[in-house]
This record gives sequence, C-alpha cells and structure tokens, in this order.
Amino acid sequence: MLKLDNLTADVGEGDGRKTILNGLSLEVPAGEVHAIMGPNGAGKSTLSYVLTGREGYEATSGTATLNGEDLLEMEPDERAAAGIFLSFQYPVEIPGVPVMTFVRAAINAQRKTRGEEEISAPDFIKKAREIGQKLNIDAEMLKRPVNVGFSGGEKKRLEIFQMMMMEPRFAILDETDSGLDIDALKTVADGVNALRSEDRGMLVITHYQRLLDHIQPDRVHVLAKGRIVKSGGPELALQLEKEGYDGILGEVA
Amino acid sequence: MTTTALKNPSEAERQLAELFSRHTPEAAQKAAFEAFARTGLPHRRMEQWKWTDVRQAVSELAPVKAEADTSIELPSNAVKLSFDGSGWTIPDELPAGINIFLKSGGHDFAQADALPVGALAASMTGYSSKDMLMIEVSAKVDRPLVLAYQGGGDAAFSRVVFVVRENCHVDIFEHYSGGAGFSSFLTEFGLAEGASVKRTLLQEASQQEVTAITTTAHLDTKAVFTQSALSFGGKLCRIETHLEHKGEGAEATLNGAYLAASGYHTDFTTHVTHGAESCVTSQLTKGAVADGGRGVFQGKFLVPRTVGQFTDAEMQHQALLLENGAEIFAKPELEIYADDVECEHGNTSGQLDEDALFYMQQRGIPKPEARALLTEAFIAEALEEAHDDVRAQLVDATRRFLRNQRGG
Ligand SMILES: Nc1ncnc2c1ncn2[C@@H]1O[C@H](COP(=O)(O)OP(=O)(O)OP(=O)(O)O)[C@@H](O)[C@H]1O
Ligand SMILES: [Mg+2]
Repeated sequence: MLKLDNLTADVGEGDGRKTILNGLSLEVPAGEVHAIMGPNGAGKSTLSYVLTGREGYEATSGTATLNGEDLLEMEPDERAAAGIFLSFQYPVEIPGVPVMTFVRAAINAQRKTRGEEEISAPDFIKKAREIGQKLNIDAEMLKRPVNVGFSGGEKKRLEIFQMMMMEPRFAILDETDSGLDIDALKTVADGVNALRSEDRGMLVITHYQRLLDHIQPDRVHVLAKGRIVKSGGPELALQLEKEGYDGILGEVA
Repeated sequence: MTTTALKNPSEAERQLAELFSRHTPEAAQKAAFEAFARTGLPHRRMEQWKWTDVRQAVSELAPVKAEADTSIELPSNAVKLSFDGSGWTIPDELPAGINIFLKSGGHDFAQADALPVGALAASMTGYSSKDMLMIEVSAKVDRPLVLAYQGGGDAAFSRVVFVVRENCHVDIFEHYSGGAGFSSFLTEFGLAEGASVKRTLLQEASQQEVTAITTTAHLDTKAVFTQSALSFGGKLCRIETHLEHKGEGAEATLNGAYLAASGYHTDFTTHVTHGAESCVTSQLTKGAVADGGRGVFQGKFLVPRTVGQFTDAEMQHQALLLENGAEIFAKPELEIYADDVECEHGNTSGQLDEDALFYMQQRGIPKPEARALLTEAFIAEALEEAHDDVRAQLVDATRRFLRNQRGG
C-alpha cells in the first residue's frame, strides 16, 4: 500500500539546510498498522511532512507511492484526496472557521477531486454526531473555530474526529497520544482500532508503549538519523521501553 | 461670487463651481460651498487626505455607466427609498414613527470645515430635482429602512439627516452601488437620549468612479449607534465617519470591512470625540487587499480632559495583503487628555498563516479555496454586527470577491 524507497529529504534554508531523511525505505501493506519510534529530532515529523507535501519538505531523491500512485508528484490537497491523512503533532488553529464548516468543506473538496458526489447535509450531520459521541466531543465544540482555544488533548481528539469523518485510505498519526489523559488515550485508540480494515493502512508515530498497548501494531520500526535502523514485531517496542535508544542503536551501529 | 473663491481651480473644480452657480442656493448651501471652496477637492498635501487624493482622481466630471451591482435580497417589510443621482423616490406608505421631510436649503452644516467633501454635498442639495431629505424617527421602528443609491452620470450629491427622538430606534441599510463619475453623499445623525440606530452599509463602484460617503453622528445620553460597513472601493472611495459622544453613557460601534481588488482604492477614516463621561466606543476594521489595490485606515479617538473621564474605547485595524503589490496605509491615533480612561488600539497587516493553509490543504482543500476560506472568516468578523437580514449576504459578497482573486 504505502511504499517508500530510499527517500531523502533536506529541510531548512541556506546555510541551515541539512539532510534529515537519508535513504529511508519502508513498506506498509494494506490492512496493517505500523509504529515508528525514534529519538527526538530523528526525522519522524519530517517524514510525515514529506509524505503530505508540506512546503520546504520536498524529497530530493527516492520514491513514495500509495497503491502505486506517485505521492511526491501531487499537491497536498491531491494527496489528501488520494487518501493520505495526517494527524498533526501540533494541530493548527483556523480562526473564524467552525469545525463543522471546515470538515464538511474538506470532505466535499476531496470528493470533488475524486469526481464523487458531495455529502448531503443530513448525512454529514448524522455522521458527525455519531463520531462526536464516540470520541466524547460535544456538539458545542464542533461549532467553535478549528482548534482555537482548544486544550492540547482536545486538539488531538479533534484530529481523530476528522480522521474518522474522512475515512482515509492511509493515516499517519504523529504523536497523537502525547497530551492525552488516560481515558482520552483509550477513546482515541478505540477510534483508531475502529478504522482498522483490510484496505486501510496506518503509520503510528509515538514515543510510548502506552498507545501500543491499545493499538497493537503489526510491525514496529525504529527511525534514527533519517532512516529505519531496525524493524521488528510488537516486542521491539517493549525492548525499547526497557533498553532505551542507546541500547538498540548501539546494537545496530 | 462663490465661484471665484476657488483658487486655481482644476477642470473638475471649475465644473463643480459651474454646477453650483446653476441652482439657486440658500444661505446654508452658500456657506457650505464657501467652506468647500477654501480647500477645493482635497488632495495629498492635506494631512487627512495624504493617502486619498481626490483632486488628482477627479480630473474632470465625466459620466460613467453603472455596472451590475450585488443584488441584495431585502426583507419583504423593508421600507425602500431610492436615490437615482438626481432625486429621491419615497414610498407613499411609511411605517408609524417615520416622517420624511424635504427641505430646500437645509440647516448649516456645522462640520463643513473639517469635511470639505461633505460640505460640497451639503452645498449641492437642490442641484438635483429634490432637496435635502430629513428623516424623523419617533418610535421603535421594526421595519428596516433601506436607502439605495445608484446612478447620477457625471456627478451625484445627496444630503440625508436623521433625527432620532428619545428612546426611539431604527435599522438602516444603505446600498451605494455607483453609477456616477464623482459622488458625495452626506448623512447626519442626531440621536436623542436613549435613542439607537443600527446602520449597515454596502459600497460598490466601478474602477472609474470616485465616491465619498461622509457621516456625522451626535449621541446624547445613553444613545447607541452601531455601524457596520463593507466597502469594495472604486477608483477612489472614502468612507468617513465623525462621531461625537455628547451625553453620558453613549455607546458607539464603528465596524468596517474593505476589499480592494487591483486598481481599487478604499479608505475608512473615522474621528470619535468622547465629549461626555463614561462613553464606550468599539471599533474593528478589517481589510484584504489584492496586488494593485489600496486600503487606507485612519482612526482617531479624541478624549478631552474632564468631560472624557471614564471613557472605554478600543480601536482595532487588521489587514491582509493577499498578494505582493498590495498596499495598506494605516494611521491609528489616540489623543487622550483625561486620566481615568481605558483606551486600546491595535494595528496589524500581514499575510495569511502558511501553517493554517497547509493544514487545510492536508485535509483536502485546494490552496486557492483555503485562502478564500481563511480570508472570508477574517473579514466576516468585522460584519458580525451587521443587520441580520443582510449579514449573510454581505459575507456572500465577500466570498464572491475572494473567489475571483487570483491568489498567490
Ligand atoms: N523547517 C525546518 N527548518 C530547519 N530545521 C528543521 C525544520 N524542520 C525540522 N527541522 C529539523 O529536522 C530535525 C528532525 O525534526 P523532526 O521534527 O522531524 O523530528 P522528530 O523525529 O519528529 O522529533 P520529535 O520526536 O521531537 O517530534 C530536527 O533536528 C529539526 O530541528
Ligand atoms: Mg515530531
């Protein structure tokens, strides 16, 4: 499903320019959830931006495809329409645009790009209500401007709300667990698990085993110095928890 | 002779003097023209007009064709008065509490010296077939009053005076849709104790037109004046409001939104005097300007010693440069002599937040649409106080404008 081959990317301007992704290869087959762990500054968020097409995070070489489609050639909104969703590590405020207006505009924009019909207002409202209930998001919150004045945990829950509304083919969750209280973590994990399906893939970036207790990953990868240095089953996360990156990285070095 | 009072008249000024000499002015009109003639058409060497040079923009009075304007659907109970550039059409049936008088010369325009273009309008009433319009409000009127201005050919001038009696109320929607090469519209408000006015204004004009919309407002004790204006500008457009709090506890809201496309110029200028204790002024002006467009904001709060005690006033101007090449000039001024006051002001101009744009794109919204959505939300905040019947339509007009911009 998602296939990254020898991906290289620079970030920064002028003298500050440096290579962050350095020959990263990774494959997430349809139906699987993979976790990425790695030290601060390893390039995890950079990877999520390269895949979603953020300005200033262009790949310099290598390939990234979703179901064979070249992602790197597409505009960010085209990638979204192709099914890529990113739950941001730091969700952004959209002043003056209420959540409901925003999510509906986004869904319809994606559908338009794909040549599909718009979602009807009643269908949209019904779906929003159901998903809001599952995530303990009250209707009042959905009327407020996107992320404006939301607490850290509320922002993360709203990311998952949007993911569930949009039903992407491939979701990247960048530290969606950080900032969540224990109950919210469970709620969010339930949301993620509900979306697990044979034709959907997920990449879960996290620092903590906690989330992986709820979302059992099929594979765990360690990202360090811009590439995947070690991959394994769920037990790799447990090993990391015990030994730290020094232990694991020392082992591969 | 008044015509000779103009020094070195430009072609347009000569034509204006000629127009003036053709009608038979009364004393108030003569005085107003003399006041106008002392400066002539305002120009950039006058401090208040340094960014909006009317003399240069109006080289001569020449007719223009009215362009299709935004059609605003009015509530069925609206009371519509139309001005075609030469005269008023007034419905036969008026709601209780509204009285309309046509006066030939009108009273002296007290602020003629500070407002030369307004003075010009006051001098010219009667140049057209009908005269100064005086509207007396003597009840809480629940039907909105609509004043529609369109047409005039080479020049259009009007003067409207609202007298709002004690504890009375009126909602007013003014739609200026152009159709005159040069136009100046003067509106004066007098609000008695406890009176309130909710005024919503939409201005549109073609790129050939120069227009000035001048307003004065006097607020007695506990009067409430709420103004929301949306301006698309023209070759040159000046919307100038001079408001004075004259009685304790009066409240004013002066909100404005401007959208300037390439080749368009729009100017919001306001002057508020806190001439009585414990008055409140809240002012929010928002603008978005495209490459080749120009936005001007000049705001002044004057709070005199003693009478201005316990003033609560806030002035905000926020503008978006939609593209490189957009121009925004802003001058917020607080002149405060009283010591126990709360006065704030803020002034920012910048670009749309790139992080927000990327976030929206990541969710599937193409960049031009994301820009339009963010800008619309930004502008809409300044229209929140607009009359319920037209607010959504003003936001729609904003949206259409933004969809037509190229975007960067
Ligand atoms: N726009 C940028 N300009 C300059 N440096 C950048 C930019 N974006 C990222 N970097 C740098 O790239 C490196 C990787 O950052 P990234 O955010 O991808 O790390 P991360 O693995 O997500 O870390 P964390 O676990 O702390 O979230 C860091 O050293 C960071 O400072
Ligand atoms: Mg990160």
